[in-house]
Amino acid sequence: MRRLSHDAIIAIVLLVASGILFWSTFSIRAPDYGVLLPSTWPRMIIVALAILSFIYLVQSLKAGRNVDDKDVAPTEEYQREPGLKGWFIHWLNPIICFGLFFAYLATLPILGSLIGGVLFVFALMSAIGGFALRDIGLHAVLSLATIGGMWSIFTFGLDVILPTGIIFSPF
Amino acid sequence: MVIENVLAALNELATIHTVILMMVGVAGGLIAGAIPGFTIAMAVVLTLPFTFGMPAVQGLATMVSVLVGGLSGGLMAGILTGIPGTPSSVATTFDGFPMARSGKPGLALGIGVWSSFFGGIISATLLMTLAPQLARIGLEFQPWDYFMLVMFALTITASLAGKNLVKGLIAGAVGLLVRTVGEDEAVGMARLDFGSDALLQGFDFIAVLIGLFAFSQLLHDVRDPKEARKTLSERGAVNVKIEHFAAIREIFKHWTLLIRSSLIGVFTGILPGAGGSIANILAYDQAKKTSKTPEKFGTGAPEGIIAPESSNNAVEGGALMTLMALGIPGDVTAAVMLGALLIHDVVPSPTFIAEEPVLAYSIFLAFFGATFMMLGLQSIMLRVFVMVTKIRMYMLAGIILGFCGIGVFAINNVEFDLWTLLWFGILGFVMRHYGFPLAPMILGVVLGNIAELNLARCMAITTDLAPFVTRPWSLFFLIVAVFSAAFPIYQAHRGRKIWTLFYLPGACFAAAVPLVMMGGIPRPALAAAVALFGAYTLWQRARSGWRLDPNEADDLNLIEG
Repeated sequence: MRRLSHDAIIAIVLLVASGILFWSTFSIRAPDYGVLLPSTWPRMIIVALAILSFIYLVQSLKAGRNVDDKDVAPTEEYQREPGLKGWFIHWLNPIICFGLFFAYLATLPILGSLIGGVLFVFALMSAIGGFALRDIGLHAVLSLATIGGMWSIFTFGLDVILPTGIIFSPF
Repeated sequence: MVIENVLAALNELATIHTVILMMVGVAGGLIAGAIPGFTIAMAVVLTLPFTFGMPAVQGLATMVSVLVGGLSGGLMAGILTGIPGTPSSVATTFDGFPMARSGKPGLALGIGVWSSFFGGIISATLLMTLAPQLARIGLEFQPWDYFMLVMFALTITASLAGKNLVKGLIAGAVGLLVRTVGEDEAVGMARLDFGSDALLQGFDFIAVLIGLFAFSQLLHDVRDPKEARKTLSERGAVNVKIEHFAAIREIFKHWTLLIRSSLIGVFTGILPGAGGSIANILAYDQAKKTSKTPEKFGTGAPEGIIAPESSNNAVEGGALMTLMALGIPGDVTAAVMLGALLIHDVVPSPTFIAEEPVLAYSIFLAFFGATFMMLGLQSIMLRVFVMVTKIRMYMLAGIILGFCGIGVFAINNVEFDLWTLLWFGILGFVMRHYGFPLAPMILGVVLGNIAELNLARCMAITTDLAPFVTRPWSLFFLIVAVFSAAFPIYQAHRGRKIWTLFYLPGACFAAAVPLVMMGGIPRPALAAAVALFGAYTLWQRARSGWRLDPNEADDLNLIEG
């Protein structure tokens, strides 16, 4: 059996999402006033999205491969190590970025934006750039100077109240 | 009246604080534009949080300055390293880099800088004179016309943004859908919130823009571990002095090319969805076709730098024209500018220039002023650029992600906006990877509520759908939307399929119909000219026996490439 291309899988995901979203429009309350119901516009878009996704699916099934293979950089794809490990290595840097930003957001109520921000930038630079002693020192200085500077501009210059976190809240 | 407005605007802008902010903006834009991977839209969107606390004139002047700086910054990297700083300066590298490598980097930079300057000045002049006229046309627009204008903006963006129209349209639809989440603006009912209080507030569109554009781009830039650790200087940056006088002499030799390329830029900017990335290639292509020595192009011809650089700086004048006169952003950068205006409680519309003349003229003058500042700062920033090239890519990405984390929170002081940034960053990254253009999605997010509000107004006036095709402007936008949607198919088959011979004449005849319907004298006269051009094209093709020209397909490949 032939494997589905990325495009076909995305088209199926979009069709399923369109179905779920269309179903959820039935829970939008209809007021007694106004001619255009609040559900009409989302439904129009969802129907258009479903039709386009269907065309996309047909295109990708007919092509038998990705509709626009250049966009997914085939040479990189083939050079990549096979299996889950290869996939993980290939996408390691973006995964690190997502993971660290997620951790930054999750710990924001505790660490606040100053400590959290400095730690996030430092951890991100070190995770991608390496843990050599000289690099770590540079990363620490850069993260402190840039995030500290930015935090000061917003807090003292623009009077924006950034999250202080539990650690800083007594001050 | 105009002089009064200009003087009042000048009074607002000519404060030390504003001038310093504008200089900082231009300098920041020059550097951001010079770094490959950091687009102008990203620079403008990241400036937005800083302007929240400023008065509207000051904030918008700063944003315009970043924009102008960014437009000119791309040439530094393009000429010195051969890697365009932004997509708007791709064509600059075709001749700029060879000229720099042949021992004339100072002249190449000088031609680039002065072409950018003249392009910006021509564009700013046209913005100032034509935007009020365009606003007068905009006053004729009714809700049906506005709704169709938004649809046209989306279809043309989808057709120009990527290689696959369907992917572009899907991106546009997803953008429109994102904007429907939360309370609807017409009657305030909860939509697609799945019972979540956070979703009920809807997604802040600035957070969505930063996530889609900046966050996803940074992740894309650090994807390859080797590239992430590289500095730009490892790719060949050199320290040079700009040769101003020789460059001006060279540009004056080609002044007609400068004006033509600037006009191409302004017109491309007016067209929704077509930005600097298209204008610079179009202008380069035109310069080559009209040159007496086309064979010199690609080897360091001065015309090959003048054309793209003057056109890409002229683009934003056109895009701002549509934005300020009609409230419709011409490209992604203008969409971010729309966000900036909305944050300062300014809603652009055809009445905007008449009702807020000081603010409108402040934007015009800021565009002028920033263009002059760009000229002065370019030499200084060149040295900073050489320093920036020594910083490794992952360090820049880390710092900017940290800035995003603080800046996005500052928009509404809501933590959910940071989560919006993260999720849309992931979505943008996935979309980029699978070849979905982001521009239609961003325009969908920005224009979604404008489309819905106008549709609601149409339905409130009458439930009859006929005005969509009986009102001249609505019909005009519908026709150009259909032809722009068909453009990628035409492009793919041009010179190969017989039906492509009828595309241009068909578009001319169809566009002439609503122009005639508009009445008066100038518009039917324009319709007659357009129809005559269509008929002439058809006659020429009939005379040549409906022969397909394979060279036409090759011409388009140059533009695509």
